Amino acid sequence: MTSTVERETLDVDVLIVGGGPAGLSAALKLSQLQKRTGGEPLSIAVLEKARETGAHMMSGAVLDVSALKELVPDFLDRQAPLASEVHEDHIYFLTPGGKLRFPITPAPFRNHGNYIISLNRFVKWLSEQVEAEGIDIFSGFAGREVLYDGDRVIGVRTGDRGIDKHGQPRDNFEPGVDIHAKVTIFADGVRGNLTKELQRRFQLGAGREPQSFAIGIKELWEVPAGRIRPGTVIHTMGYPLNTEEFGGGFVYAMPDNRVFVGFVSGLDYVDPMFDPHVAFQRFKLHPLVRGIIEGGQMIRYGAKALPEGGWNTIPRPYLDGALIVGDAAGFMNSMRLKGIHLAMRSGMLAADAAFEAVNAGDASAARLKRYETLINASPIRKELYPVRNVHQAFGHGFVAGFLYAGIAMVTNGWWFDRMTGHAGQDRIQTIARYYTRRGRQVPEGATQAVKPDRQVTFDKLTNVHYSGTRHDEDQPVHLLVHTEVCESICGPEYNYPCQRFCPANVYEIVTEAVGNRLQINASNCVHCKTCDIMDPYQVITWVPPEGGGGPQYDGM
Amino acid sequence: MKIAVCIKQVPTREWQPRLNDTKTWIRDQDASYEMNEPDAYALEEGLRLKEKHGGEVVVCSAGPARAAQVLREALARGADRAIHVEDEQIGAADAFVVTEALAAAMREEQFDLVLTGLQSDDQGFAQTGVILAERLGMPHATIIMEVQAADGRLRVKRELEGGWFQWIAMSLPAVLTIQSGINQLRYATLKGIMAAKKKEIRKVAAPAGLSARQRILKLDFPEKGKKTQMIAGGPEEAARELVRRLREEARAL
Amino acid sequence: MILVIAEQKNGTLNRASWETIAIAQQMAGGQPVKVAIPGGAVGPVAQELAAAKVAEVVRIEHEALEPYTPDGFTLALSAVIGQLAPQYVLLPHTYQTRDFVPKLAARMGRALVTDCTAFRPEGGALAFARPMFQGKLVAQVVPEGDAPHFVTFQIGAARADAVVKGDAPAAVTTVPVTVARAAIRQQPEAPFQEAKQAVDLSQAERIVAVGRGIKSQENLELARKVAAAFGAELAASRPICDAGWLPMERQIGSSGQTVAPKLYVALGISGAIQHLVGMKGSRTIVAINKDAEAPIFEVADYGIAGDLFEIAPALIAELGK
Repeated sequence: MTSTVERETLDVDVLIVGGGPAGLSAALKLSQLQKRTGGEPLSIAVLEKARETGAHMMSGAVLDVSALKELVPDFLDRQAPLASEVHEDHIYFLTPGGKLRFPITPAPFRNHGNYIISLNRFVKWLSEQVEAEGIDIFSGFAGREVLYDGDRVIGVRTGDRGIDKHGQPRDNFEPGVDIHAKVTIFADGVRGNLTKELQRRFQLGAGREPQSFAIGIKELWEVPAGRIRPGTVIHTMGYPLNTEEFGGGFVYAMPDNRVFVGFVSGLDYVDPMFDPHVAFQRFKLHPLVRGIIEGGQMIRYGAKALPEGGWNTIPRPYLDGALIVGDAAGFMNSMRLKGIHLAMRSGMLAADAAFEAVNAGDASAARLKRYETLINASPIRKELYPVRNVHQAFGHGFVAGFLYAGIAMVTNGWWFDRMTGHAGQDRIQTIARYYTRRGRQVPEGATQAVKPDRQVTFDKLTNVHYSGTRHDEDQPVHLLVHTEVCESICGPEYNYPCQRFCPANVYEIVTEAVGNRLQINASNCVHCKTCDIMDPYQVITWVPPEGGGGPQYDGM
Repeated sequence: MKIAVCIKQVPTREWQPRLNDTKTWIRDQDASYEMNEPDAYALEEGLRLKEKHGGEVVVCSAGPARAAQVLREALARGADRAIHVEDEQIGAADAFVVTEALAAAMREEQFDLVLTGLQSDDQGFAQTGVILAERLGMPHATIIMEVQAADGRLRVKRELEGGWFQWIAMSLPAVLTIQSGINQLRYATLKGIMAAKKKEIRKVAAPAGLSARQRILKLDFPEKGKKTQMIAGGPEEAARELVRRLREEARAL
Repeated sequence: MILVIAEQKNGTLNRASWETIAIAQQMAGGQPVKVAIPGGAVGPVAQELAAAKVAEVVRIEHEALEPYTPDGFTLALSAVIGQLAPQYVLLPHTYQTRDFVPKLAARMGRALVTDCTAFRPEGGALAFARPMFQGKLVAQVVPEGDAPHFVTFQIGAARADAVVKGDAPAAVTTVPVTVARAAIRQQPEAPFQEAKQAVDLSQAERIVAVGRGIKSQENLELARKVAAAFGAELAASRPICDAGWLPMERQIGSSGQTVAPKLYVALGISGAIQHLVGMKGSRTIVAINKDAEAPIFEVADYGIAGDLFEIAPALIAELGK
């Protein structure tokens, strides 16, 4: 049906798919380059799937302002929403009831000169800077498929809107638009649906390590006065994870008694009954965190995957007609738990390369390779290369990882050139292997499950409510699942792990007389992408729902 | 037909309210905003009438600078131009003040038809459209489910309680408040969004010295945690006791 | 003096008027309460209203007031209210009052506070509670400016049977009004009822809703019988509709309908927040659930922690008595 409809087309010089820090930095940089050189203004369009820019943005977040300083030197005068300058850094190793404080804060964790921000607010602000330059930001439009001319990327088709849940057009059906561009910059975020397609089609990951991911789950709290000084940054390791699991918690304190509490779990866990949401609840129940948030109020909830693999996992970020930036390419420093500044910088460098290519009338891969050259000469490589193996080292166990991280810091990365890692979902073990054969008892629910007290801990469904997530109910399910695998293979082998790795209660196994049935509560989806990454048989494909749907991460 | 549609910018429906320090208003800066949903139906109805009868659709809003967002959205959906009564305080004002400000900006335009949503998702007065009609000297009808226009006259279907309806005829110019669900909303298109940038948003200051007719003393969260009476006993006993209490105490039967 | 404007259509009183009279009596504190009844021929309705313990029932009669039009009512009532000079004018918050009271208040330049649920003294004046932000907040609002102040009360804000009846019928008087036909710009046609395409749960007086606890589609029959016994509409929480056991239009909650019936009976519903936001405004809530710690009990007025398959038949039997 969709192939026969008449579509609008739009031609631009540069199309940016994704209105996050990387995409918006690229847009802003493009307009700056344009101003500097004069001449015909470039036509630039930014697509963003959220109803408004920033709505799907969620991160820790502590911002390293290095890239921002270059992009918007007067960011303070322009009132960039930086919630608080970091005043205190603490790192703890948590035990079930206690904590060990690291006597010194290792350099990567030092945050002097950095700011605690709400990425949601920051991106909203950044988008205002972009719009002020006269650039079109089309929010509420998701990139649904890549358009090619042979093997050259020529743009993106946006998703159709107004299709009912049976796939039939409604009265207000609005077909997607074909946007043609000389250069398309893919900034579709972690596990971006279009970048994923490009990676597969063009083997962009060839010769690189497979990407590994983590999932971050976070809540915004308003806590009783006096609990924690604004500007305090706390990172933790250890409990509730065991030594075979990678991850850690954070608490960032802002003015007005607002606190971010979050937990990052590597999606390379082995226990099939592990549930990242449970780990987060356990973290909140630890005396260190509970003492801060108890008696307060949870205001927002969110979850998002993050690319943790680092330098060696970044795919070839250029191809004929296209560039890949930000989380989509994996520009993230898992040692420092920071990626926003790298995303911004990659966007800025992509803008440089795209600008030159458009002006030269040549957007071939050969010319766009300049983007990679720029990255290699930039602070991105300087920052990521020395710690390129840290995440992989943690794959060899917590102790090895921690030792390696220490050595990497001291020796500035002198070590093997490359340590081999695994894609996250490869490590999850079957119930038989992890439990039965080792004589372990399979837990009733998730490992270490917590009964929510609805004060400090919550169930996933309640949390989803606080993510502000909304989708038009009358649309096709946007999670494409080969459900025949669930009952026949994945259920018996892994005990339906989708129920646990999804932080938003999208996947539910309903037991009926005829057997188990997978129910997909697609409208709960917070667009974190974890299912697309984590399911052991890779039978879940996340595609964008109708534009405008998704979470509403105010203040996150 | 020269049609005005009054729209308001309100916090999104997913927004969890937070109160300011004096508990007299919300913390505006914490909310994200959208077009009041009932007004979106009014806008759609205006656009459909224009498509049928020709003319223009002018969207009007009274609100702070950020309200320009919903005006731009309306322009992207197909409205021809916009009037923004810009005032930092007016977003929280009562219907008396808002209508006074809107009427001052709209009067000289000599609209044939003025549409508003049924009520707003924020303060929910359900007064603005009706008072506006009074101030503009136009007849009105509320909670409209269908609009027929011909030869300078309107015939509109008004919803009454309990599944009843009524047709009402009147001459133009007139004011209608539109019931949500009267039509199916269209999507903004890329071309529409780009075209909207070239459309005019006329900014108007609110008249000085408007005085409110009501004041919010205090805002609170609704009391939660009702006293739940748990009824014990075997099934028959519990059922009997429940029915007794529903009849005698709650009078719900 | 507090003036209540009662509502009638073709000689039939809108029962919500009694609720407003009850509120006026509670607000009065020694002031007289009068009830005005506008319409074409309101003699019998005025007599009916005279049963309440009020100072006077005022007939506002004119052939141009039937059928109702906002222009006609504004003309007639602004004249009468000007003459009677009350402190407050109270009305039920109905589709009809929403149609004309804002105009009336604006014509007279007076305050109007709509959709109130309660009043309370506040520093010599009265503050009125009304929902804001779709019921997420409750505001205490004080009307400003000169009297009279117009206040409309939500249906259910008071109980109709709380009206204090007088020992003898109240005096019924008639205030003459002139309404020029020509000044009425709306020409209403006769009301008609439309066959509903979909159930409108928001209009239901009683709702019996089922959740996962019902276990299977076959068991819905039992829920239907409970609904029938209560004279209620059947509704459900999200999982039931997702499973296709009931149509989406019967789903209560954030992605379905928001309802506030007089009675809401939750059968086997645990009370996820997405469900609660759609029904917690119900006047009386009954929860029957196996898990005594289920969140549904936090919003319920009456709770039975037990097996719904035992309790439901007992309830049907009891209601049948």
